[in-house]
Amino acid sequence: MRHPSALRIFLKTIAARAYPRVVASFRNRTWVVTETLLPLIGTIAMIYVYRALHAPVRYLGFVVLGGVLLAFWQNVIWAMATQFFWDRGAGNLELFAMAPTSLAAILLGMAFGGAYVSLTRSVAVLLVASILFGISYSTAGLLPALGIFVLTICALYCLGMLLASLFLFYQREAWQLADAMQEPIYFLSGFYFPVRSLGAVVGGVGSLIPLTLGLDAIRQLVLPGTTQFIPIRWEVLAIVVQIAGYALLSQVSLRYLERRAREDARLILRST
Amino acid sequence: MSAAIAQWRGFKAATRLGWEISSNWTRPLVFVLYSVLRPLSAAFILVVMYRVISGNAPGTAAYLAFLVSGVAFWSFVQYGFAGLSNGIVEDRGEYKMLKYVYTSPVHFYVYLLGRGLAQLASAVASALIVLVVATIVLRLPIDPLRVNYPLLLAASFLALLAVIGMAMAFGLLLLQAVDAHGYGELGSGVLYVISGAIFPIGVLPGILATIASFSPLVYWMELIRRSLLGAAAIRMFPALSDGDVMLRLLVSTIGTLIVAHLVFTWADRLARRKGLIDMESNW
Repeated sequence: MRHPSALRIFLKTIAARAYPRVVASFRNRTWVVTETLLPLIGTIAMIYVYRALHAPVRYLGFVVLGGVLLAFWQNVIWAMATQFFWDRGAGNLELFAMAPTSLAAILLGMAFGGAYVSLTRSVAVLLVASILFGISYSTAGLLPALGIFVLTICALYCLGMLLASLFLFYQREAWQLADAMQEPIYFLSGFYFPVRSLGAVVGGVGSLIPLTLGLDAIRQLVLPGTTQFIPIRWEVLAIVVQIAGYALLSQVSLRYLERRAREDARLILRST
Repeated sequence: MSAAIAQWRGFKAATRLGWEISSNWTRPLVFVLYSVLRPLSAAFILVVMYRVISGNAPGTAAYLAFLVSGVAFWSFVQYGFAGLSNGIVEDRGEYKMLKYVYTSPVHFYVYLLGRGLAQLASAVASALIVLVVATIVLRLPIDPLRVNYPLLLAASFLALLAVIGMAMAFGLLLLQAVDAHGYGELGSGVLYVISGAIFPIGVLPGILATIASFSPLVYWMELIRRSLLGAAAIRMFPALSDGDVMLRLLVSTIGTLIVAHLVFTWADRLARRKGLIDMESNW
């Protein structure tokens, strides 16, 4: 009997883990509703805040673009970072650990599937909010903005893989930690306002999250008049570095924490 | 008498259970820390948004106080509404204990009230910390010695009754769904938009503004600001006196509780008839 190569198993694991996410993105209608409406409602609330302040229309665009990336961040937190935590609770993690594949491949599958799901939700947020509030964007910068968007999402899901490995370490407080990674990150990443308003120090700390730089660059390209945090080329470079850095760190961290989790029996220790 | 004691014991047990579940049995300090980070960040998001638009123009403190007070007290709705309505679904799906609550001698309302009040500790801590931090950092015109506490407490008591009533009804409605994960947050998100918590409801389009004016939360927010800030408060209803706003809060709370009771009873009957109380929901 011929055994499949390691590469083949790796790729098939990615496809196998991405598949349920892609299928569930439309099959589970209740999730379609929550995953689309939650970022949309948050976006609409913030748009009304700017409207109450009589802000220029481009600020409404800031909020909408923030809402688009918010859908990805929520997916990274709830369906990447905490996923092993849920899997452990459901008894799947021990099965993953026993399977003749790597957790890295499973995480990559989750990332691909999750990115697809988030894309469908964020497109809905973009279209509905832009049409509802009459927001327009500069088409001249659309193509480079799309390129930066793809890079940002890659960096974001690499960070998600890193967080997923770290969450292997957390027990009861994992849920609270994930909860706490919402508004504080929306603040640090400037989801609803120009990143420059945060100042160099806070903005610099926030830049550790790929969304911060990606969002700022995209806004500069499609919403003329956006105050620049740092020049776009530096933001792109930083995001590329983040992709490599977070991917590497996630693998190192995953190996270390998986070993620790096996030693401490955390792979089967349920805390939900 | 013994029946009352049984209800009281049930209420105490439900409150404790609600706290333990919502904190997932983690350390209280860790839980409170995480619980405070969210509203504090939400407040600072709004502060930066406001500063971006208005700069340091004179008179900004009053509007900042409007935003901060709304966010601070929103914790009560976030925890009370989303926490309780999600809790009902979790009791069935994750902990598989809803059927035991139904079969216990404690009245279901009493159990849910206890479960809902458990969230209060986190909400109080969160609201207090946000207010204190924001008042100091942003120099908001909130003087603890001049706060109209009776008005604040009376308004908050009524609003909490309404929130828990709405959450109970919504939670029971969610039993109809196999997978209602995230719907509690969705419900509180909708209330956020129509409550006047972070912007005056006059900004909303006509139909939404009309719907919002039936919500007790709008009048609660108005009374919170008036009690905290006095004459410095930016008012959503400048033509109404404190008494008028309180009357509207009272009437809308009673209306909300009546509607919530009717929805709750209907959803409860439907859930029993369809056998949804102990339905396996593949949590």
